[in-house]
This record gives sequence, structure tokens and C-alpha cells, in this order.
Amino acid sequence: MRLLGSCKISENGVFVNNNLEEYYSACQTDWKRELYTKLDFEYPKFHKMDPLAKMAFLSFKLLEPKVDLGSLEDDSIGMLFANSSSSHTTDEKFKKSYYEKSPSPSLFVYTLPNILTGELAILNKWYGENIFFIQENFNPEFYLEQINFYFSKGLNICLCGWVESGPKGEECFLFVVENKDGDVTHDELYKCYKQKK
Amino acid sequence: MKVYVTGYGVISSIGVGEKESLRALKDGVSGIKRGSNNTTKDYNVGAIELTDNELIEKFELNTHGSRTALLGMIAVKQAFRGHQINEKIRTGLISGTSVGGMDISEVEYKKYLENDGHDPSRYKHHSSGATTREIAAEIGVTDFINTISTACSSAANAIMMGARMIRNGMIDRIIVGGTDALTSFTISGFRSLMILDEDWCRPFDETRKGLNLGEGAGYLVLESDRSLAVSGKEPVAELSGWSNASDAFHQTASSPEGHGAKISMMEALKVAGIAPSDIDYINAHGTATPNNDLSESQAIKSIFKDSIPPFSSTKSYTGHTLAASGGIEAVFAILALRNGLLYPNLNFENAIKETGLVPQTKFEDSLNIKHVLSNSFGFGGNNSSIILSAI
Amino acid sequence: MSDLKEKLKAQIIKQLNLEDMNPEDIKDDAPLFGDGLGLDSIDALEFIVLLEQHYDIKIADPSEGKEVFQSVNSLAAYIEKNS
Repeated sequence: MRLLGSCKISENGVFVNNNLEEYYSACQTDWKRELYTKLDFEYPKFHKMDPLAKMAFLSFKLLEPKVDLGSLEDDSIGMLFANSSSSHTTDEKFKKSYYEKSPSPSLFVYTLPNILTGELAILNKWYGENIFFIQENFNPEFYLEQINFYFSKGLNICLCGWVESGPKGEECFLFVVENKDGDVTHDELYKCYKQKK
Repeated sequence: MKVYVTGYGVISSIGVGEKESLRALKDGVSGIKRGSNNTTKDYNVGAIELTDNELIEKFELNTHGSRTALLGMIAVKQAFRGHQINEKIRTGLISGTSVGGMDISEVEYKKYLENDGHDPSRYKHHSSGATTREIAAEIGVTDFINTISTACSSAANAIMMGARMIRNGMIDRIIVGGTDALTSFTISGFRSLMILDEDWCRPFDETRKGLNLGEGAGYLVLESDRSLAVSGKEPVAELSGWSNASDAFHQTASSPEGHGAKISMMEALKVAGIAPSDIDYINAHGTATPNNDLSESQAIKSIFKDSIPPFSSTKSYTGHTLAASGGIEAVFAILALRNGLLYPNLNFENAIKETGLVPQTKFEDSLNIKHVLSNSFGFGGNNSSIILSAI
Repeated sequence: MSDLKEKLKAQIIKQLNLEDMNPEDIKDDAPLFGDGLGLDSIDALEFIVLLEQHYDIKIADPSEGKEVFQSVNSLAAYIEKNS
């Protein structure tokens, strides 16, 4: 399988593509909002998303121009995501809402980590497979094994991500793999994931 | 390579294990009633009428954990009965949950807000990963452990992932399913979405108003041929089809035409290598929300056209058990295969006007049930379908 | 009534996370749902929470909300009527 591109964003900075060709500096408290304004893509629903969906959306929009997904059938793209804290940040906000005032439906919607894959599917009108795992750390070997299932089923592209928002901080690492000849290794993926400013 | 089921375990508001569940299914006895504790007292829920300590004592659990974990342990122990951890058989566990240890965290959080002796060490049970680890520890599984969190399709996705790992030779034997406990968190959440029914839910009925929440756990043990040769277990069913698709419509609602549902059912049929006409029973997702039941009906109609097989939702028996539903309903599907059963869709009176579909309304037995399709559709437009077939 | 409408606009922006909007951006008679502000069914539920929290008005059936939430005008009129 071939690695088509990757994007890593966090409050430490933004890296697009596995060769660190360019980066944007985004070190402030509302870094996600600032990144959105730089995107030149209006999507009002963005503001209603939780941190996980926001980061997945931003990373995807940053990576999209570098990766040609346009010509593919809408059910030939699979999504494989994971994190360790599930929807922790929003869970805490939702708990607060029902203890202090009354439960907020717009918060409850995001108390499931897989809503972010739902948001990407809605954005792009993708009907392929999608899944969300809870794991202790980003484990590229696991992703590569799972991607093989998708490819053997006939999918052409897999959009994968580790999107975390919780006690350990916030980060999103997105990468796209194609079902073509190539030698993406878990070391390579881990290096892309670990990029820091 | 075939994927065999060699064990199953279930706990829900209609009973623990095969005998109790079958009796309730046959007698049309629903587990849904007015809740009896502070969390559930204002709602109709499918609750398991045992406290955590009672669960630990009655089922002789060694590992302590959240209620979600305890329910999972009970169902997994049942499923794994007669199996042994054996170094010749690589054994794994994939568990789905949406609530995890939230039943403990929300209690501790409330104590913290009220300055009432909160114990931060209890938060170690909170994460979904901790739930799975606690279940794995109870039966001694160490080779492979994973957790899936895709809302109401979590258990079905765990089953699907297990099947793929077996087929690809990555594991020999795997326990797959899901578990969720009732919590203030989920009750408040579904209340805020205004999709709860204040009375008893009415799946596929024109007057349906919403769902009743439930709790429980359901797991299967899947094995490969290679594993069977070593374990010596007899298969009870074959897991012949599975699939997942995105609905790409809304975070919590399904598309009116059930696009994602249609794709997941069709793909599952393709994996099983059977035609729609081969399906003898559909255990529907059937949550009784105005949205799901219409959407799922449209999807069923578009695939099965004029030959709709008998279908029903068993959620008017158990309530909607969220991440556990795919696991619990997979067990019900296996019981249907083994005993030739069709389950009634309780509390149904009038068909949905737009579709005119009438579900199975009587319990029937001694039938020739060869293939059962089970649907589990989760928030985020995560749609999964599995097919279980008779040996 | 116009004070209520201005207050409502600020509350709507806050409750629904309409980040890039100011109260002046919402016209009294502009459709809030569909092509207007592009609000959806979850936002409609937040309106129900808003009515309960700030105005002590309970809407039991979400489909009742369709008429009420059409615009700031209809919302203000409903609040005046039911307070």
C-alpha cells in the first residue's frame, strides 16, 4: 500500500505531508478557530463541532489539496480512526450541563468519538466503511493490519486518523493510504505522527 | 475459511443466559418497566434488577469494575463456558461500549460537586479501554484485546472485526460483542434529544414516539477451523456475513431512504454469498424512534421488495441496550437458528403509513430458520449488519 | 417586544455556538431553519432548552417547535403569549 499524504495538527503546530514541506504556526488558545479562518472554506457547521470533529475536519481540509480523492466512487473510501480518551472533553462538558442546568442536546451528540467519522462522511458524501477504536497509544502496526481488511474487501483508499482531546492534550494525525504498490511502514507513519515544531 | 460460533452469552432485562431469555421471548414478557432507582425512576427502562454487589456475588466475579464491565464479564463468562485458555490457541477479546465506566464516574463527579467524599481512584474504571481490560482479566485473555466505540453498532462491529481477524489467520479464537449499563448520562442525553418514549416503546408502529433505554451485554465466541481442531468445541452457528457502511446524512438521524442501512444489508448478503430470498428472519435495529424505523423500513423494502421476510425488533423486550444491542441480538439470532424461532415485535398495532410493513407479531417455533440478518445502526451514521447461519 | 428580540438574538448566538455572528446579523423575520441560518434538528432541540431555561416555557413535542422557531418574530410572539 502507498502513503498518499499525512497531516499532523496540535497546539504545537501544523504539519502537512510526510516530508515536512510546509508548516503553519498556530500557537494560541483558540488555535483550531484560527486554522479554520485560514482554510478559505466556509462550513458553518464547523463551529458546532466538538474538538475531535473540528481537528479531523481541519486536518482533512489541509490534506485534501495534496491528495487526489475526487475521482473515486463514494463507497470506495474507508475510514479508520482511534484515540485513547474517547469523547472525554465533551463528556465532561455534557455532564456539567445536566448537573448544573439542563442536558444540552448539541453537546450530547458529540459524546461519542465516532461522530467525527460521521462528520467527514457527511462533508464528503462518503458511504464506505468506518470504525473507531479505543487504544492506549497510536499504534501504526495495528492500522496497517486493519487497512489490509479494507483493501481486500475492495476499497481503494483508507483515511486513517488518531484524534485525541483529553487530559493528555489535543492532537490529530491524519493519513491517507492507497491500495496500490508501495511500502508504507509503521516506522514511517510513527515518524510523521511524532513531528513537533 | 468459515467463521464458526462456538459459544454465546447474554444478560439483559429479560434474563441471564439462554433459558431465561428464551422463556421471556416465548411468553412475550418484556423487561421494560418503570425504573426503580434514583437514576431511572422517572423513565421506562429495561434494567437488570440487581445491584453491582449483587452481580458480583451472584456470578462470582473476581475482577471488580464498572457496572458496564460487570455485565460484560457475566456474558463473556457464559459464552466462554467449556473453553479454556490454551497456549496453542491464540485468543482475543474485542468489546464494544459507549458508556464504559461512566456509571462510576458520574457518581464520583456528583460527589465531587457536592463535596461529599469523592474517591478519585475510582476514575481508573472510567475509560472504555478499562472496561475491556477488566473483562479480559476476568477470563484470562491476553493475546489480543481491543475496544470499539461506534455507538449502537459497536458490538456488531466487534463481531465483524473478529470475523475478519479469524479469516485472515490473525487470531484463532475471539470473543466479540458489547456491553453498556444504564447511566444518568445516557438517560439525560436521550432525554435532551427528545427521542425517549414515556410509555412502552412501539417499534415499527405508526404511533411510535421513541425508544426505551436498556442495559445488558451480549458476546459470541468465534473460532477458525484450526482452533476447532484444538478446542474440540462444536459450532452452534456460522457467522456468514458482515458489513459496515456510512449513511453520510446527519450526526444522529438516519437518511429518510435509509441509504447507509441499504448498503450495509446488501454488502452483508454479498459476503455471505446468499440472496435476499435466503433470509428467513431479520432482527431489526428497530429502536422505535420515528426516524429509525421509517428509514430502516425503506431500506428493507428497497432490498427485499415484494418478498419481505419475517422481521421484528426485540427492543420492545429488552429496551435499547446501545453498544450491547448488536451482541445481545446476535445471541437472539443464534437461538432463533438453533430452535427454529421467530420473535414477535411486541406492542405493535398499526403499520407505518409510508411503508405498510407489518412485522412478525406472534412467537413461532419449530420452523426451518437457516439465515438470520441482524441490523445495528449507530449514531454518526455508522450502519452495520451481520448474518448468522445454521450449521 | 424589541428588547426581547435583541435579547433573543444574543441568546440564540450563544446557545447555538453561532460563532461568526452578531445580533445585528439576524433579521427579525429571517427564516432560522433551512436556507436561512441553516440551523438543523439538533439546533431546534437547543431552542427548546433555551425556552425552558430562560423563559420557563416547556415544549413537550419537538414537532410543535416548527411553527414557533420559524423566525425571531415568531419566537418572540410565542414567548410573550406564554409568559
